[in-house]
Amino acid sequence: MITSRTEVIVGRVLLIVALVLTLIPLLNMLSAALQPADRNPIGLSWPSDPQWVNFVTAFEVGNVWRLMGSSAFIVLCVVPVSLVIATLAGYALGGLRMRGSRALLIVFVLGLTIPFEALIIPLYYQAQALGTLNTQWAVVFPLIGLFMPFSVFWMRAHFVNVPRELSEAARVDGARLWQEFFRIQLPLALPAISALTILLFIWTWNQFLLPVVLIANPLDRTVAGALTFFQGQYYASIPLLNAGALIIIVPAILVFLLFQRQFIKALLQGAVKG
Amino acid sequence: MSTTLVSNAPRRAAARAAARRADLTGWLLVAPALLAYTGFVIYPLATGIQYSFYDWNGVGVATWVGLDNYATVFTNPNLLGAIGNSFVLIAFFTIIPVGMGLVLATLIRSMRDGLALRASQTILFLPQIIPLAAAGIAWSWMYAQTGAVNQILGWIGLEAITRPWLADYGTALPAVGLIGSWVLTGLCTVLLLTGIGKIDTSLYEAIRLDGAGWFREFITITLPGLRQELAVLVTLTVIAALSTFDIIYTSTQGGPGRATLVPGLLIYRIGFTQSDVGLAAAFGIVMMVLVLAVVLPIQRLSRASDQ
Amino acid sequence: MRHHSAHRARVRAAIGTVAAGAILALAACAPGAEAPTDGEQIEVTTELTTEEVVLTIADETGFPVTDALTEEFTKQHPNVTFEITRDTFQNLTANAPRLLAGANPPDLIRLPTIGETVKDGLIANLDPWYEAYGWDAWPASQLAPMRMSDEGIRGSGSLYQLGLGYSITGIFMNLEIAERLGITAPPSTMAEFEEMLATAKAAGELPIMAGDSDGVVNFVVQAAMNQFADKDEFMSWMFNEPGATYNTPGNVQGAELIRTWADAGYFPSDINAIDYFTFVTRFSEGEGLFTFNGNWAASGYQDALGDNVSFFLVPPINEGDGHVAMGAGNSFSVAAGSDNLNEIVYFLNWIHTDPAARQIIVDVTGASPGGDPTLPLPEVAPGSLIESALEMSAQIGADNGQVDFMANTTAGIYAGSIIPESQLLVTSQITGQEFVERVQAFYEQEIGG
Repeated sequence: MITSRTEVIVGRVLLIVALVLTLIPLLNMLSAALQPADRNPIGLSWPSDPQWVNFVTAFEVGNVWRLMGSSAFIVLCVVPVSLVIATLAGYALGGLRMRGSRALLIVFVLGLTIPFEALIIPLYYQAQALGTLNTQWAVVFPLIGLFMPFSVFWMRAHFVNVPRELSEAARVDGARLWQEFFRIQLPLALPAISALTILLFIWTWNQFLLPVVLIANPLDRTVAGALTFFQGQYYASIPLLNAGALIIIVPAILVFLLFQRQFIKALLQGAVKG
Repeated sequence: MSTTLVSNAPRRAAARAAARRADLTGWLLVAPALLAYTGFVIYPLATGIQYSFYDWNGVGVATWVGLDNYATVFTNPNLLGAIGNSFVLIAFFTIIPVGMGLVLATLIRSMRDGLALRASQTILFLPQIIPLAAAGIAWSWMYAQTGAVNQILGWIGLEAITRPWLADYGTALPAVGLIGSWVLTGLCTVLLLTGIGKIDTSLYEAIRLDGAGWFREFITITLPGLRQELAVLVTLTVIAALSTFDIIYTSTQGGPGRATLVPGLLIYRIGFTQSDVGLAAAFGIVMMVLVLAVVLPIQRLSRASDQ
Repeated sequence: MRHHSAHRARVRAAIGTVAAGAILALAACAPGAEAPTDGEQIEVTTELTTEEVVLTIADETGFPVTDALTEEFTKQHPNVTFEITRDTFQNLTANAPRLLAGANPPDLIRLPTIGETVKDGLIANLDPWYEAYGWDAWPASQLAPMRMSDEGIRGSGSLYQLGLGYSITGIFMNLEIAERLGITAPPSTMAEFEEMLATAKAAGELPIMAGDSDGVVNFVVQAAMNQFADKDEFMSWMFNEPGATYNTPGNVQGAELIRTWADAGYFPSDINAIDYFTFVTRFSEGEGLFTFNGNWAASGYQDALGDNVSFFLVPPINEGDGHVAMGAGNSFSVAAGSDNLNEIVYFLNWIHTDPAARQIIVDVTGASPGGDPTLPLPEVAPGSLIESALEMSAQIGADNGQVDFMANTTAGIYAGSIIPESQLLVTSQITGQEFVERVQAFYEQEIGG
């Protein structure tokens, strides 16, 4: 790659500024989490006597094990199902482009513009009617549906960019559709799928509005809802709140790091040349 | 939809049969996604529209009120103010993150694969991994009188402008907006990187051999190559701006006064605290139409690009 | 291309027609069900069952008194056990009507405002037990806010709630700062109180530690209003009596006083960034001469400030006038759909009468246990803030000066109007008159709509 010197220097400086700005609030969370639990932390300063025990307290007070289990259950229901059905639909709309696909695309794209808040009230009464209210299913089903517009749109955007010669060549070779799909399309779609996996995982893990409204018992919600454990009407501890928040984001970071190696390798390969 | 032209009739018939089979397969492949979507988006949307014509407390008997709820949405200054605030947030949720994302993605692209690149990417993406609710909490005392923002301003000699940012009528909304910028910049960067990765590197080599600088390269190659991704991101971030809830819920609750009140928070309050389900549903529908009005032109652009 | 776009237009038209048809069809039938009719009548008894029973309670987070009470109750009556679920106050109050209307409602629920739950038949009418247990011996003024008439007006009619402790609010004073400023005794009139505020300000001390990012400054706003307003008129508004208004001369005077305090800089400059926890912590750390809060905060302040803090009622305008203070039961309601009505009411009665339970209420919450005033009061450390709180409760009882919290007026008024408008008031953005008018306008809209 050919790049000029000034470009490299300006680039690096901007990047470092962006990285520092990104990290400050996170460091501030950590420094706050280590202050004595009954104190109101001030500014960004490393505590003289770091209270690592806050993490233990937050873990116990927040029933974090149970919440992580509950979150994991919701994620394991939502993400794989969404990935499979969105990939199939994305391939149909972007790769096969059968009759009616454009109308279908419009229908899905319109869904992209529906804010969760616009649906939350009807979703509540729907869950009540289905008898799923106050169970994890009340969040699982709507989330799969609500993720469809983006997921289908995202996968279609990938399949639309796959050179058509590839699939046509496969068909001329006499490959059946599913063979073509598994041997040619799916491997090519992996970067798009892994990116989507990460996004769906994070969006589910961090879902706040749906669990808060649809599941009455906070222990059956996602971990993001656990933050409300520390926010009583007349009782809250900002150090514990931050300790809890940090505990909660660790699994998400781990999953991201785990997927990321594949993810980046795949996306750097770029498009296959016809 | 045209398939390769062939000359003789039997092969044309076979091709047509294959096309019909492909049509059927296509619909079968879409069916599960369509089912989930219809059941949990379209159906609730229809019931939401239904509720919006009623005065209903969510439990008792509902009374038909026609368009009264919509009239309230468009005449109540508090509700209109909330809509106005959400449009201001677009600047912070869309323009800043997408702009920053383009710059950063371009910069990271020119970095060699290695620890530094991977670390940068990971760090930039971190805010997206944090629950928005936690981001709201973390930032609300970053912005406090004794918080880190004022502390840092003090270090660089800007004591004069320190203030409780979220409690100041002039700065509360931009301050909340910047939380959104912080969260979304990483997402934009990583998704745009995926897009840049798909652009043929020989194009870059060619234009560089042509003697073009980074700016021309950016305008003539990177930007057009990213049209799809940009459309996705602008759509996503505009929706995030107009439907902000978690951040406001955990930072300002709409205050001070109604300076940061947004439709999402009002819908939650009207629907669940005030138990005025009809009005909340109507507000939700209006919100959706507004999002549609902003996002539809963007979709049109991206559709034009892949014809 | 031509036929393509024509085709697309047809598809769009088709989608549009189908959608419109479906919407019209749906819109024509009303959502919701008929209000549940009174279920089968159960026999009211004051005897506790001997069968194994599990009672469910929906409570707010950070309110540990139900843990201690249920533990003690199970110790005394091992056949009765409890399951308690907790959520934040905000979420719980938002979800309450739907929780109660669900298939498995909790037997007992923390419910700050009765609201429309009575009209919808969601909570149990406690009148039969009122008779059976003889609750007429309890202070009527304490129970009044928990009654609701058939017309949906609070303050009279049938009993729908009981308190797990009855709170009282007042002023906490940092005695160390007071001594430095030469203040030796609590103020006996509002004028004296204002002088003290001015003295503190002049000496560079923060006069009032308060926060309003979550509306708690309204302890101060209402405390001022209480002294000027006609108590019964104010209460009738809180109880939603027809024609009652917030826009009274007394309320305006109180609000204008707050505005002058805001103008004088008696509140922290970042008041709208301070929430409940922050202002409690900052007062505990010695910032501010006064703070307005309730008995529930007493033991925390005592722990933090030791003997350097006192707690007293907000002074009246004229010396010797009766005191008026906000106070309320930590109100809980029984779900109409509860399968264990007799058992859960037995539990409620036990909380008001059993010595161990009354001791728990005082120890854990610092609130008055309520119930028959002739019952002995639980023991408290002499000279403690909790002792002051119990004395204040008795004083307010004697002066007949208890008023409800205006935040409880309607379900939506606190978040929807009182908080945002008070944020504007305490930062001198609007006048007291505007504050009162705007809150009243919201009230009319919510009650009317």
